[in-house]
Amino acid sequence: MSQNQWLATGNFFTSYKEEQHTFFTHLDRTIFTLFLVLLFAWPLVFEVGNKYMFVVNNVLIAIVAVMGLNLVTGFAGLISIGHAAFVGIGAYTVASFCRTLGTAHVLVTHFWPLVIILAGLVGAGFGALVGLPAFRLKHLYLAIATLSFQMIFQWVINFMTFFNQGQTISIGRVFWFTGKVGRRDHYFFWYYVILVVVVLMGFGIRNLLKTKYGRALVAVRDNDRAADAMGMHPGLTKVYAFALAGFFAGVAGALHAYVYRGVGFESFTLHESIGYLAMAIVGGLGTLNGSFWGPVAIKFLDLQVEQLSESAAQYLPAGMNLATALKPFTFGLVIVLFLMFEPRGIANWWRIVKSYTKLWPFRY
Amino acid sequence: MTYFFQIVVSGIVVGSIYALAALGLVLVYKSSRVANFAHGQIIAAGAFITFFLTVDLGVPIFFSFLASMAITFFLAMSVERIFLRRLIGEPIISVIMVTIGLASIIDGLIYLTPFGTENFSFPPFLPDTPLTLAGVSISWTQLVGVIITFILIGGFSWFFKKSTVGISMRAVSDDQFGSMSVGISVPRVFGLAWATAGLSAAAAGCIIGNITGLNFDTLHAFGIVVFPVVILGGLDSILGAVVAGIIMGLIQQFAAGYLDGNWGLNGTGDVAPYVILLIILLFKPHGLFGIHEIERV
Repeated sequence: MSQNQWLATGNFFTSYKEEQHTFFTHLDRTIFTLFLVLLFAWPLVFEVGNKYMFVVNNVLIAIVAVMGLNLVTGFAGLISIGHAAFVGIGAYTVASFCRTLGTAHVLVTHFWPLVIILAGLVGAGFGALVGLPAFRLKHLYLAIATLSFQMIFQWVINFMTFFNQGQTISIGRVFWFTGKVGRRDHYFFWYYVILVVVVLMGFGIRNLLKTKYGRALVAVRDNDRAADAMGMHPGLTKVYAFALAGFFAGVAGALHAYVYRGVGFESFTLHESIGYLAMAIVGGLGTLNGSFWGPVAIKFLDLQVEQLSESAAQYLPAGMNLATALKPFTFGLVIVLFLMFEPRGIANWWRIVKSYTKLWPFRY
Repeated sequence: MTYFFQIVVSGIVVGSIYALAALGLVLVYKSSRVANFAHGQIIAAGAFITFFLTVDLGVPIFFSFLASMAITFFLAMSVERIFLRRLIGEPIISVIMVTIGLASIIDGLIYLTPFGTENFSFPPFLPDTPLTLAGVSISWTQLVGVIITFILIGGFSWFFKKSTVGISMRAVSDDQFGSMSVGISVPRVFGLAWATAGLSAAAAGCIIGNITGLNFDTLHAFGIVVFPVVILGGLDSILGAVVAGIIMGLIQQFAAGYLDGNWGLNGTGDVAPYVILLIILLFKPHGLFGIHEIERV
């Protein structure tokens, strides 16, 4: 640790243990705490309509899912084109509880944290199952394995009467210490729940990467033959990365089910999977804060494009549906431009800003 | 028994189209190690260009077929030039995602045209009555489609085996540095690989459009269905693509013909390739004809 407890002027670590601190200076910790307080306090200060709270919740759920995807794709280097299917597994776990026990069963309404964790575990199980080919495969072959899982998932949901053949399955309202969470504070309540989940999982990833299990992921991504030679088991590490991603996705799916109060097929299609991948890439693959930037950026872009096409529709002939054309176009353009000009994503801009402020007034 | 043979015939028809569509994917992957997720969109673009030329401009179908092949040839080549050339050497995830983004962009562009949302069909230019032999019938469009497919596949194989450009493409796929050192321009070969892929995609699009009618959703869905085919055949084998295409077509038609409607199953034809693929990946990871690269630490 540097002599100054507030400002880091260089690297003064003398032991490996010092390097493992979550916050290096008091300033880091203070800013982080302030930011967290801000996140928790702002809905209390500003009156936010349900409509906007819903959007914010959506972004936060996407953050949970993208954190998982970033683990498997960013850190372990395995492309997953089936992440929405894992999210769907989580959501449909909750839905199947509702379908067998009824939407008002005490397990669904009172013990919902348990259900959310259970959904995560189911997601992890399926993640490990789909990751099984990883024992012998890598690269594109593995990506296609996840793609086929996505397709099989879609088929199962669309076809089984148990899952209502992709039609919406409703989820009951939950109870909190203050009683039933009603319509008015539904999104408000879930905002706090998801925020807590995001913070916990963020710390989880942050700390995982300091353990040997987390470093094994990065080692396998960088060179799996070398990792093999160093005594890691690349196949096992890949399966475990898939399981972890499945856990995150499952939790995100359960949250999705509770927030939407229903589970439908359209939220878990191949298109959504690609959306998650895009979020991970725009945010920055292989960085933790990238998983926060990406969903925010992509969802914000989506909203803006929708508004733009709505306002432009007044000046265009009625037959032309600008929204259907503009949405995929801008989405694709953003992915391509980011990959061509900023492959390290928004997280890289954040890094540049941080190092600039740290070193100011010097350039480097 | 007639039903069985009918399914075999339609399986071969569907399979040969898969083979033709898969060919483009294999070409690109073989030369530049890029998995092209925008292939379905190029197929759709080729089909719609042909349709536009024949119906809206009144060009004879044979010439518009050739013209659309030429257009997609340059389209795919420019895609490689603009988007993928600067990604040489980047990690595989970037390359895959660029093609996915590209697919999305082409989606958006096609939705802007009138072709995006409606169904179209080519004007009939072949006899309407199906050909029947011992109860098994095949329509003229299907028959001609299969014949053209096999001619094209034969032509491509000849091109790779015998022509200088084809040989240089095979050389690049085998060893990029080696082929560079003997004077082959690797970027040019990449461009050519994309261009020939575009060519075959346009041909596939026209044949599918003639057989099933033109609908953007079904056409660009081919870009995804083709992946199980190429994985089954081995990603870098042209023969594999052809064999696996026909196997997949047969599997799909048999699943649809015998499983659908029984035991409450539906749409099994769409999911069967993916189930087969997962099983194949578990037991024969590099497909039927793929090269298993030996890795040593």
